[in-house]
This record gives sequence, structure tokens and C-alpha cells, in this order.
Amino acid sequence: MDQVIYLIYILSFVIGMIIGLVLSYKKYTEPFVSKNIDIVALVISIIGWILLLNSQLIMLIPQYISITIGLFLVALVLGMRPGYGRFELVIGFIVSGIIWITGMVLL
Amino acid sequence: MNLMANILLNVLIAFLVGSVLLGLYRKVVARVQSRPGPPIIQYLLHLLKFYIKESSFPKTAAMPFYIGIASILMVIWISAVIVGPVTQGSLLIIFGIYAIHKIVEHNAGSSSGSPYGKLSCVRAVYSAAAEVPLFAVLVIIYLKTGSMGISDIINYQAVNGPLLYAIPLAAAMYLVLIISKAQYTPFSITKGKDIVSGYETEHFGLLRGYLMISESIMWYMLLWIFLTVFLGPISPIAYIIGMVGITVGIAFISATSPLLNPNHSVILQIIFAIIGIVGSILMLNVL
Repeated sequence: MDQVIYLIYILSFVIGMIIGLVLSYKKYTEPFVSKNIDIVALVISIIGWILLLNSQLIMLIPQYISITIGLFLVALVLGMRPGYGRFELVIGFIVSGIIWITGMVLL
Repeated sequence: MNLMANILLNVLIAFLVGSVLLGLYRKVVARVQSRPGPPIIQYLLHLLKFYIKESSFPKTAAMPFYIGIASILMVIWISAVIVGPVTQGSLLIIFGIYAIHKIVEHNAGSSSGSPYGKLSCVRAVYSAAAEVPLFAVLVIIYLKTGSMGISDIINYQAVNGPLLYAIPLAAAMYLVLIISKAQYTPFSITKGKDIVSGYETEHFGLLRGYLMISESIMWYMLLWIFLTVFLGPISPIAYIIGMVGITVGIAFISATSPLLNPNHSVILQIIFAIIGIVGSILMLNVL
């Protein structure tokens, strides 16, 4: 059963990256030049990382579902057209990391 | 779980993880060289693309060998998944699979009739002289643990700690072997840039897809064997972290080092093998 869940995680990650790549190519028609933050990608990244790294803090949904959704959302940003999404990805990871550390200290 | 379902699951995991790791590998190489690089998913997309492309066959190809050999490559690495993660069988079979892999590299190159393929075919035999001794790392593992069974080796490490600390030179030897299977590293002479894509140069469409699937499973399996045999019972997250870490490390080596001339590559690998085998045996006797 564990392996089925791991396969679901991997599939969620791979499908997320493919969709992220397709959508970002539609959104951005030029190669990466500007350093502006994409707010939509930032929000997706933050939600994704929180669901992925802090799944044990989220009681409403089973852990494997939150990890699957988190992986999918993180992969959406990670899979964006080369250059795009990296700042958003790092910011999301830092925010989620701070929440994780805070959760560890408080709980 | 049903054995067939277990095999299917593990092959799918090996294929998907291997593809993403090889995509990551290309990305890291590009970033180190200050290029944007392809998306991480590019290897997988590239692979899938070949399945919808028309398959064409060179006039010089030796049929049906040319078609069969690409399928054999896939079969042997699926067998490796069955022997490894599924049944945790004998490392000796893995050694046999690796030896067949070298033969397949040789035959894939010669069967196409391409001059690049033929050069790669010669290099495959040449490099086997160095890579097979490197795989003799298994003998050192046997001398240390008293078994060739993967499950026995895992149990040994659960009691005595990771083999990485006990026989570090053997681990280094195996790492050199992994490096030789990665693209554009100093030891990857069978697919050096100077011979286009080596033995894959004249494989198109479906056959190229087979080769690429085999490579992704091979990459996963080589890393899986390293982590299992030298680190012992580790969690799936540790496997992922380990595989990503080794892939990134080898990508750095690939991006920053030149491709060696086949002679130099083989001699260097043989030196690594001699140091590894002699050093490990001495360490086994001393410790």
C-alpha cells in the first residue's frame, strides 16, 4: 500500500510539472528576462510548500492527500518555463520552513 | 501484494523517478555552465515524444538484431528492478545484468551500421575492461557481509551499521561506476560528444524511446543499489534525498570536467579499481 501512495506522489509531481510548463509557456511568451514576482505562482508555491512540509499540522485532511496536493502545487511552480518561478519557489519554501519551525517550537 | 502488481509499481516508480533525476541532471549541468537549461521534466517529455514519432530504420541496420537489442536493454533493466526493489535477490544477478548491459551497448552500436555507433561499440568493449572490475566491488561486499543477497546485506547493516563506513573505498569504486554511466562525464566514453550520441545515434522513434526508458530505469537502479548496499535500511525520503544528492553531485562533476580520451578514461578507471580492491582488502584484514 505504501508503494501505491509513493507512486501517487510521484505521478502528482510529474503531472504538476507538465501542467506548470504548459501553462507558463502560454502565460509567458518570452524567455526569462524580468525579475518581477509572479503573484499567482507565489501564492501557489506558498500553499504547496505549506501542504507538503506542514502536512502533520493540517488536521482537516489526511496526510497523504495534503502531501499529494502540496507536491502537485510545488511542481506547478518548479516546472515553469526556465527562469520563471524560482524566486517564488524559494520564498514559498522559506515561508513554509518558518511555519514548520514555529510549529515544532510551539507543539 | 500480488507479485505482478508489485513489479509494475516498482518499474513505474523507477521509470518516473529515473526520468525526473536525469532531467534534474541536465538542469544542474546547465546552471553550473550559466545556461538556463531545459525544464526538469524535459527528459520525460523528450522520451514520450519518441513514442509518437515515426520510426525509421537505416538501410545499413542489421535486422532483426537492430530492433531486438533495444528491447533487450529494456528487459534487462526491468529484470534489475525485479531482482532489486521487488524481490531483494542476489547482487550477483545485478552484476550479470550490468555485464549484459555492456554487451547491449556494444551490439546496439554495431547493429545500426553507423560509424558513430561502431566507434561507440568498440568503446563499449574497451570500457568494459574497466567497468566490470569496478563492479567487482560486490566481491568486497561479500567478503565483508558473507552474503550476496540484498536482503541479507540490508540486515547486516541494520545490525553493524552502514557499509559506507566499513568499506569506503568500495563505495567510492561504485560511485566511479555510476559516474561512468552518466552523460558527458569524464568516463562516459560510449556516448561522448565526439561520437554524436554513441550507440544511440541511429536509433529513432520507438526504439529510441525504449533506450531512453531503459536509461532512466538504469539510473534509478544504480543509485538504488548504491544507497541500499552502502547505507542499509533507509526510508523512502532518504532514498529520494540520496538519489537527488548523488545526481546533483555527478552533474557538478560532469559540468566542470572534460571528457577524457578513451585510453585515459579506461586507465584511470582501472587505477580506481586497483586502489579500491587492494585498499578494501587491506582494510578488511586490518579492521
